Amino acid sequence: MAIVFDSISEGDALPSLTKPEITQLQLIKYAGASGDFNPIHTIPDKAREAGLEGTIVHGMLIMGILGQMVSGWAGVVNVVKFGVSFKAITRPGDILSAKGTVKRKYEENGRKFLDCALYVEDANGEIKIEGKATVLAV
Amino acid sequence: MPLDLSYKGKQIAAFTFEVDRSKIRELCAAIGDANPVFTDPQAAKKEGYADTPAPLTFASLITFCGYPGIWQSMCEMGIDIKRLLHAKEEYEYFAPIYPGDKLNAVICVDALRGGAMEMASFKTTYTRGGQPVLIARMTIIVPPATK
Repeated sequence: MAIVFDSISEGDALPSLTKPEITQLQLIKYAGASGDFNPIHTIPDKAREAGLEGTIVHGMLIMGILGQMVSGWAGVVNVVKFGVSFKAITRPGDILSAKGTVKRKYEENGRKFLDCALYVEDANGEIKIEGKATVLAV
Repeated sequence: MPLDLSYKGKQIAAFTFEVDRSKIRELCAAIGDANPVFTDPQAAKKEGYADTPAPLTFASLITFCGYPGIWQSMCEMGIDIKRLLHAKEEYEYFAPIYPGDKLNAVICVDALRGGAMEMASFKTTYTRGGQPVLIARMTIIVPPATK
């Protein structure tokens, strides 16, 4: 399950993940699951009151998709750091892909680490979030 | 109401949360992550886990479900929650989180900046039996109101 350190070179791409179109129903499910009931994600009228054209996707759902890609690749227990910056609004109907690259491989205190640069983009190539993860390899 | 900078460095909440298997399943279903390691104890054990681990962004669920007063706390700090934008979310993981874990969480205001673009950063430390399992940092910004 864990990534084999010697099999990785700096610059290697992580296996990318393209998700089905995000739906309004998925945002309702995500709100219920996560407990984030900010209505800008679920109630179109409330989103418009907040100055938006309609509901927008929870940033944490997009980070969750990036997390799916990273944990599917490295194994959830091997991820020691994971962080993102939110860059652009995502709406229902968008198709997202999670991608990444290994930036640096190194050993520290006898443990092997891979630093990865990550992002999620839509079908037009607009970056929605970008981030970093540090994963343990064997 | 302007941001109350006296909150800088202060603890705003402490709560406990018991990790429920069904919340892990719900979060994975909402994300669309079908990896059986999160839902099937047998699959998890085959991968070397004690049980089905929580996915990487589970900390956000712990805070929103374990401390729904987070929005009210932000309001009391003078944050205009109607205008806030989530700028960053960062995690450091120390141990896997499993169903049945009783976690303690403490939320502190890590950084606070007033001015035209207000910023607040919240550091939440999650512990189990006194040992840290996860540290989360959430940074929000409040852009200037449009006239």
